[in-house]
Amino acid sequence: MAADPKMRFLVVDDFSTMRRIVRNLLKELGYTNVDEAEDGAIALQKLQAGGFEFVVTDWNMPNMDGLTLLQTIRSTPNLKHLPVLMITAEAKKENIIAAAQAGASGYIVKPFTAGTLSEKLNKIFEKMGLA
Amino acid sequence: MARALHDTLGQLGYDKLLEKTVSALPDAKDRLAYVANLTEQAACRVLNATDVAAPLVDDIENGALALGKRWDKLFANELGVEEFKALAEETRAFLNEQLPQKTRGTHAQLTEIMMAQDFQDLTGQVIKKIVVLAQDLESGLMNVLIEVLPETKRTDEVASLMNGPVINAEGRTDVVVNQEQVDDLLDSLGF
Repeated sequence: MAADPKMRFLVVDDFSTMRRIVRNLLKELGYTNVDEAEDGAIALQKLQAGGFEFVVTDWNMPNMDGLTLLQTIRSTPNLKHLPVLMITAEAKKENIIAAAQAGASGYIVKPFTAGTLSEKLNKIFEKMGLA
Repeated sequence: MARALHDTLGQLGYDKLLEKTVSALPDAKDRLAYVANLTEQAACRVLNATDVAAPLVDDIENGALALGKRWDKLFANELGVEEFKALAEETRAFLNEQLPQKTRGTHAQLTEIMMAQDFQDLTGQVIKKIVVLAQDLESGLMNVLIEVLPETKRTDEVASLMNGPVINAEGRTDVVVNQEQVDDLLDSLGF
């Protein structure tokens, strides 16, 4: 993997189990610089504080859902370049299309495998010219 | 009396509400069956992983103890030169090959155990929906009993884009059932 192992990730999910799983999987892939947020509103606060280079987010969360978070990121000048990977149980085609149109960098449907996460991350890094 | 209750319910508009709630119960049963299924699968995955990992850890322990005993003999001056050479070679092989191979194998099973916990996210979402249904049922029945309040404001259905996991995809064309279908859809749209 050619992307910087120090790359700072923000993992957004209202379930701590899933945050832990994603964090552990990122660690297995060599990324140990990971912070967590339990909903979109908290995520946005953390992102505004700066320093993040990658967002992995759930969709269905209280306070602010993942789609709204994505839309807000894309419409905020200092955040709009951030890659946003959605990992969600929402499996309606309508959801996938809405996420893509809102500018999601990738879409993973739960339940997912370690291999899928690795593949999607690499695909995004390739597009960013990092791999 | 049953007749009177029926009429009262109709007048208050609760017959529709109760009908709606009762019709939601089969869906709730499906959701609970889904929870049972996912948790059972997770338990099996974890037990399988520990079955694979336990002998690996045992091998590490037994191998280390066996080598350790022979090293104790060396320190007690009970080992000849040839025996010492053999011990040194075997210890080196243990450290360089057997041990890392078995710890990697164990680590793979730890990852499997971790991944088996992903059910909690899905079952949590499903159970939350059942809880909402139970609350609706409770408040509906309560209102019928006290027969005073006008139709209570129902909890809004979640927005159509937030439905949680698909419990039964059979016969549905509006949902995907795996990552491959997600990727195909995005490809077909040029994303």
